[in-house]
Amino acid sequence: MLKSNWSRFWPGMLVAALLALVFSVAPMGYGNTSLLFMMMTFIVLAQGLNLLYGFTGYLPFGYVGFFGTGAYAAALMVMKLHAPVWAAVLAGPLASMAIALVLGPLLRLSGAYFSIANLAASQILFFVISNPHMTGITGGPYGVKLDRIFAPTASYAAMIVLVVLTTLIAAYFRYSRFGQGLRAMADDPVSAEMSAIPVVRMRLMAWLTSAAVAGLAGAIYAWNLSVFYPDAVFSLQISIFAIVFALFGGVGTVLGPIIGAGLLYALYNAIGISAPQYFQLIYGVLIVGLVMFLPEGILSLLTRRGINVF
Amino acid sequence: MTFKGSRLTAASAAFALAAAIGTTGASAQTAPSVIKIGTLYAGSGEFAVSSQAQYDGLKFWAKKVNKDGGVFVKAYNKKIPVKIVAYDDQSSTSTATTLYNQLITQDHVDLLVADFGSVLTSVAVPLAKEHNQLLVDVTGSSAGFFSNDNKYLVDLSIPSSGVWPIPLAKHLIKQGVKKVAIVYGSNDFDSSQADTLKSELKKAGITPVYDHAVPTNETNYTVLLHAAAATKPQAMVELGYMSNDVAFLKSLKSSGLHFPMVFTIFPGQFKALMEKNAGKDALAYTYSYPAPPMIKYEQVSLGLNTDQFIKAWEADGHKSAPNFVNTAGYSTGILLAKALSTAPDMKQLTIRSTLEGFSGNTSTLVGPFALSQTGAQMGERLPVAQFQPQKDGSLKTVVVYPDAMATGKAIYPAPQG
Repeated sequence: MLKSNWSRFWPGMLVAALLALVFSVAPMGYGNTSLLFMMMTFIVLAQGLNLLYGFTGYLPFGYVGFFGTGAYAAALMVMKLHAPVWAAVLAGPLASMAIALVLGPLLRLSGAYFSIANLAASQILFFVISNPHMTGITGGPYGVKLDRIFAPTASYAAMIVLVVLTTLIAAYFRYSRFGQGLRAMADDPVSAEMSAIPVVRMRLMAWLTSAAVAGLAGAIYAWNLSVFYPDAVFSLQISIFAIVFALFGGVGTVLGPIIGAGLLYALYNAIGISAPQYFQLIYGVLIVGLVMFLPEGILSLLTRRGINVF
Repeated sequence: MTFKGSRLTAASAAFALAAAIGTTGASAQTAPSVIKIGTLYAGSGEFAVSSQAQYDGLKFWAKKVNKDGGVFVKAYNKKIPVKIVAYDDQSSTSTATTLYNQLITQDHVDLLVADFGSVLTSVAVPLAKEHNQLLVDVTGSSAGFFSNDNKYLVDLSIPSSGVWPIPLAKHLIKQGVKKVAIVYGSNDFDSSQADTLKSELKKAGITPVYDHAVPTNETNYTVLLHAAAATKPQAMVELGYMSNDVAFLKSLKSSGLHFPMVFTIFPGQFKALMEKNAGKDALAYTYSYPAPPMIKYEQVSLGLNTDQFIKAWEADGHKSAPNFVNTAGYSTGILLAKALSTAPDMKQLTIRSTLEGFSGNTSTLVGPFALSQTGAQMGERLPVAQFQPQKDGSLKTVVVYPDAMATGKAIYPAPQG
């Protein structure tokens, strides 16, 4: 049984170890650690979104809401409670899970209705936090300043740990009975329920896990950035990127979001740095082309040929 | 012995000569072929218009300097051409973060100039400090950036937004306005102005009859205008970015509402653009902060004065007249050039302390240059002006406060229709 588990999970561990190695060594050859940090952030967010969308079929347009909640939870812990960094970072996933619990009833919706409701929820969070009347608590539109804890190297290392953790969770979702149950549920929830799969509980667990991943990413992002405005952590561009990156790589897999986020974010920056004047044109055409010709993601090039993708 | 001595002298002289040549050679080698100035601009998004205007001003300065063979750099004792390395951050702070880092760690720029506004400047502040790189702030006017423990930040152009509305508040009080409605954007730039305005009015015993914050991307003010009109204000003050001001003035025009006094920020900086986008009718009798080149500084100690700048700008082939942010970008360039020509070395803190040395004794086309201890800009003050319609259909900018700068009297209340 132990051997069986190992054979199922070693690819996940291998990928996680490779990611840790790559992002640990990369700063020695490439000094723009902000770019590497953001790449890891988007790998985590694409993977976190994959945990929900890839395994349950729920597409959260407002995924950034959890990210922003995590960032602000960490910021408030530092500003109001003068908490140590580790406690502030842990507050991120806890707060986003609390929000996810409150928003749990949204899971009764499906398809576009869920996506739109989730988007609206993230906007509510944004407007509450950035409201001028909340200035005394959240900093309101003035944003937050956490220069007391600013530590780019330590926060970079923490993001590596989160990349590893998220990859292992995705591998667990991919190969465990839990993940298989989720996929059965996504295909046909009625049949899944009749097969004694606890649909509501499992869906909620996937939802909470996905929220926790985004919340933790937001908390570490806040630690790394140290000065930010509400727009920066609740920007819909973050949700859009996470969705596009996950879809580009291929959802429901472990490698898909990693490849999608890694490739597209690198490309995004390469175009932005080398040909900024054509940035949106090139990037837009590329995404439209990829969605038209590879709607199942880049990994579908392999699955179409019968190759099993991890 | 004599022969030996002369040989020794000759050898010493040869060694000294070789050393001198070597030193000269080393100096020539260490002087870079270009002075790299890194900056970001927003090619799209909510800050695009202002950001590109700032970038255009900086490019105009660089082009002018390079035409003369470059900027004189005292550290290398020679003129060196300037190269601007610029990336498009699309008004996104996360993109700006990676691109600022790119400029510092990959391009190794000699000087780092922030993008337009507080939002896009904010992410560069801790990054620049971490890398011991001086961040030259042009239009990021948030007072929160500046502190005594950060020497790697200096504001060369516009003053802290918190001080902008002081003349406006004084004008309102002088005008006898008691009922003020304030609508402002939920961002640092506008909120800090709203706070200052309310605080100054409070000192005169005036509490706004309507006080409402809107999202930065607000585009429809119709409902808000009707709600504000219900409180019968004598002055309607809208504090927003340019897109807000255009939307506000359009909504006001289409609503048919009338207020005795209306104030917005950006017509004073982008008058031509605002006339085009909101219409001259919408701007008639409204008030704004007139910024250079709308107000002119004839006596400057550095660079071109306002009229010279306008002529040079037009001669450079620009299709539209220069605006405030153009002048801010240019002003930043000339101050940096002066710092390079004065600083004994290229160390970032030397450049900062050199710039501090200009404080209080330098003036450019954006006004007097004065730095606080924290590096914030305190020199420039923006007056209050009214756009008064003329017989030929144009709008004349009439400075109405303070009295020392006034070019005419305010028409208050504004005529209806």
